[in-house]
Amino acid sequence: MSFLAPLFAIGLIGLAIPILVHLVHKERKETTLFPSLMFLLRTPYQHSRRQRIRDWLLFLTRAAVFLLLVAAFTRPVFDRPPDAQAAATGGGREVVILLDRSFSMRIGDRWTRAQGAARQALDALGPADRATLVVFADQARAIREETESRAALRATIDSSRPGDAGTRYAPALALARRTLAESKLPKREVQVISDFQRSGWDVSEDARLPAGTTITPTDVASSEVADRAVRAVELRRAMVDGRERITVTARVSNVGPAARGIEARLEVAGRVAATSRLDIGADAGGVVTFESLAIPESPQPAAIRITPDNVPTDDVLHFVLERAPSIPVLLVEGLTAGSDREVYLQRALEIGDRPSFDVTMRRSSQLSPTDLSGKRLVIMNNAPWPSSVMAVRLQEFVSNGGGLLVVAGDAVTATSWPGNASGLLPAAPGDMKDRLADKGAVLGAIDRSHPAFSLFGGAQSGDLSAPRFYRYRVFNADSGILARFDDGAPAVLERRTGTGRTIVVASSMDGLWNDLPRQPVFLPFVHQLAQYASGYRAGRSVYEVGDPVDLQGVGPAVADSAGARGVAYVAMSPQGNRLRIGGSQGEAALIPAESGIYEVRPAGAPGARPRLVAVNIPGRELDLARFDPTRLTHSVATVAEVDPGSSSPAEGDLAQRERKQSVWWYLLLVAATLLVVESVLAYRLSRNRLTPVN
Amino acid sequence: MSDAARAIEEARNTEGVPGRTFLDPKVLARIDDLELVARFVVEGFISGLHRSPHLGFSTDFAEHRQYMPGDDTRHMDWRVYARTDRLYIKNYEADTNANFLVILDVSGSMGYGTSGLTKIQYAKYLGACLAYFSHRQRDRVGLVTVDSDIVDFVPPSAKHLNQVLHGLDRAKAKGRGALAMPLLKISESQHRKSVLLLLSDLYEPADKIRDALGPLRDAGHDLVVMHLLDPAELNFTFDAAGTFEDLESGERIPVVPGRLRTRYTELIRDHLAAVEKLLGEGRIDYLMVDTSKPVDEVLFQYLLRRERMQSVR
Repeated sequence: MSFLAPLFAIGLIGLAIPILVHLVHKERKETTLFPSLMFLLRTPYQHSRRQRIRDWLLFLTRAAVFLLLVAAFTRPVFDRPPDAQAAATGGGREVVILLDRSFSMRIGDRWTRAQGAARQALDALGPADRATLVVFADQARAIREETESRAALRATIDSSRPGDAGTRYAPALALARRTLAESKLPKREVQVISDFQRSGWDVSEDARLPAGTTITPTDVASSEVADRAVRAVELRRAMVDGRERITVTARVSNVGPAARGIEARLEVAGRVAATSRLDIGADAGGVVTFESLAIPESPQPAAIRITPDNVPTDDVLHFVLERAPSIPVLLVEGLTAGSDREVYLQRALEIGDRPSFDVTMRRSSQLSPTDLSGKRLVIMNNAPWPSSVMAVRLQEFVSNGGGLLVVAGDAVTATSWPGNASGLLPAAPGDMKDRLADKGAVLGAIDRSHPAFSLFGGAQSGDLSAPRFYRYRVFNADSGILARFDDGAPAVLERRTGTGRTIVVASSMDGLWNDLPRQPVFLPFVHQLAQYASGYRAGRSVYEVGDPVDLQGVGPAVADSAGARGVAYVAMSPQGNRLRIGGSQGEAALIPAESGIYEVRPAGAPGARPRLVAVNIPGRELDLARFDPTRLTHSVATVAEVDPGSSSPAEGDLAQRERKQSVWWYLLLVAATLLVVESVLAYRLSRNRLTPVN
Repeated sequence: MSDAARAIEEARNTEGVPGRTFLDPKVLARIDDLELVARFVVEGFISGLHRSPHLGFSTDFAEHRQYMPGDDTRHMDWRVYARTDRLYIKNYEADTNANFLVILDVSGSMGYGTSGLTKIQYAKYLGACLAYFSHRQRDRVGLVTVDSDIVDFVPPSAKHLNQVLHGLDRAKAKGRGALAMPLLKISESQHRKSVLLLLSDLYEPADKIRDALGPLRDAGHDLVVMHLLDPAELNFTFDAAGTFEDLESGERIPVVPGRLRTRYTELIRDHLAAVEKLLGEGRIDYLMVDTSKPVDEVLFQYLLRRERMQSVR
């Protein structure tokens, strides 16, 4: 039993009143003046007898009245023990315990307190109750009592430790919702044990729990937090004496009430490459910059490490020191040497950065099959269809994943390009259309959702309607059209062949058929088409814990033994755990759970050079700002739908809660009855007490 | 006629004695002027109902007696001597030379009253009326207020009516009362035989009252005792149980009237009977006065009674 207004228990002091009334003698105040008491026989009070309680019945009645009144005002609530409650409701409770094991739970004694709260929640369960333990960080995992023993849940609590992942409440709440929705038990409860980090709560995610669910937040965060962390790293590349050098800059934060002097080290392949020192104020951040260093030939693991504190995991930030990505390109020019019509495209490719373009230029007449070796993209810049041997090799190149970018100028005709060029072109080149009379055509329709043009989808991200196309080649294609001129003729087309693709631009890039090369949008236009055609995707070497790692480009494709589920990889975690990714027996994707450097190799190629993947604590997890747990409670609580035919679960719950505390009505009723009895008793006893002594 | 006099006249009623109109005590309570009250009360009375207890020389001839040596020759009846040649002395009824002394009990118990007037107020009216009445008969009037001792004293004189009335007006009921000592002092100071009117509630045992009055009686004074009691004292008409406080001693006791009423009325009745019996045996004129009765009705009864006593005497 508990009380809604326990402060009213102070009223128990009032019990002293009837005791004093019964013990303390005081003559009546109503005095009648009379000439002489000569004839009035005195009825003196019997003081000695009044020092002890004489009218026990009256005293007990008055004491009971006070007691009942105090009890009524304290609003007692009868919380039945779980067993009795279960018996009364005809079943037990479905209790879901959400235990936060995100990185921030490493701070201070949060995890110890969280474990204690979880164990306490388990201990409070009755035999009829059923518990589900959901351990969560950015993902959630449930251990159900339905399938596991309660001891297994306790063992999970004991053995769990906070990881490096960030906080996300939505998956855990979704799991809780599913568990509660499937439950047949009449009462549903969710206990959230967490430090309630604001970054983990996304209000846009639907995480509502079934109606009638009781949500109990348990906040284990301490009020004061002191933590230093490396938040981000920036790499600036520069060519010095023909060699690429890199300058590393790290951003460091100091969350806490005291200013700190921080020593930062830049480590490359486990060796200290540079050091620097930085003073940071309380609750402030700073930037530390190291001396530039030459980039090694092969990728090397690197890290920024600062003076360790109580939470050392975020005192280091891992990254991979490697050269900038580059796309090997074979540029085939159809014109004779010395022409300045090809300069626009060549210059555009040279300017390329992240990725850069490693361009090998060949005249169409000089083209040989060996030129395709190591290339990912072939650009036919107004060049005729090559010879038969070269055409076959080119076709094989595209089918195996290579890219072909065809710039269809005056040299790309139906005669110079037979048909659809062995299926590489989306359509055979048609006639040249001259729009000089109407001051040229513009691009009328562009599929900006296409990866090749997605860069231009945002505002002020390139005006593709600015270039004027005076002449262009007509391709009668029904599909694969990425952009059209204003008369509907295809301007940019795509054709996939095997694992490769062909992109056709239906006009030249020499500044004669259009003014595109002289427009600002030319450079990104060329880069985007070249990157897309080559199949390039910006590779990431730095991830956060919980982010799926893109394994593309990790060595040659190797089919697993079953060959059913595609490529398999083997990853070695920073802690030395071996993970199998892909294939019929491995994980679907590499989702790193630890911070550090992962080494990923193709399965079955232990000697292959590994791809290094740097994984760090999620940046949002380092933001230790918290939010009010009641916001989470209110947000996930479902407003009961009104069912005119029956009371909703919420209404039923309210009615049940009201019933629990409605005992005060009865207490008042009994007190009122006792007051009447007290009045009658007091009147009668008073008359008897005043009987004169003869 | 003033407003007060008009009020008195209007307040007269015919209750009590058939054929008579009396004044409601509540009306008298609204009038502060004791002389006015006395005059109007007495004016409604017959005059000369009582006679002087001593023969004297006044204008009313009583009898002749033979001259004896030593008699004052101024009272010689020369006409009788001329006709009969015998010496006779004239005797006159002396009803203008009596002392009338009001003894007013001003103890605290006299301050009680439930019927519009307190007992002391009622006693003041009675004393004032009788003093005024006596003064009209050329008696000498005086006043003594007593509690357990003499509080105020106005010696009897034909010119002291106003002082008597002022003395009555000043009297306040307070203190404890005991008659023995003051009455003894009065007996020692009043050598001339007087009419003594004692106005008291006599809250003392009857034998003590008799003993207290003994010296006055033995000194030859004509004693009139008016025993004033409020109806509440006579009938004990209380209902609610509570604490009763003695007006003189301040003592307080719890009382349940319903249980005590019968016993109390028996005791007060016995007390009244004992007082009347003992005072009658001592030839002391006693009159129990219910303060709810009209003042002039009491006076009327008293004077009628005195008239009968004079006739008997």
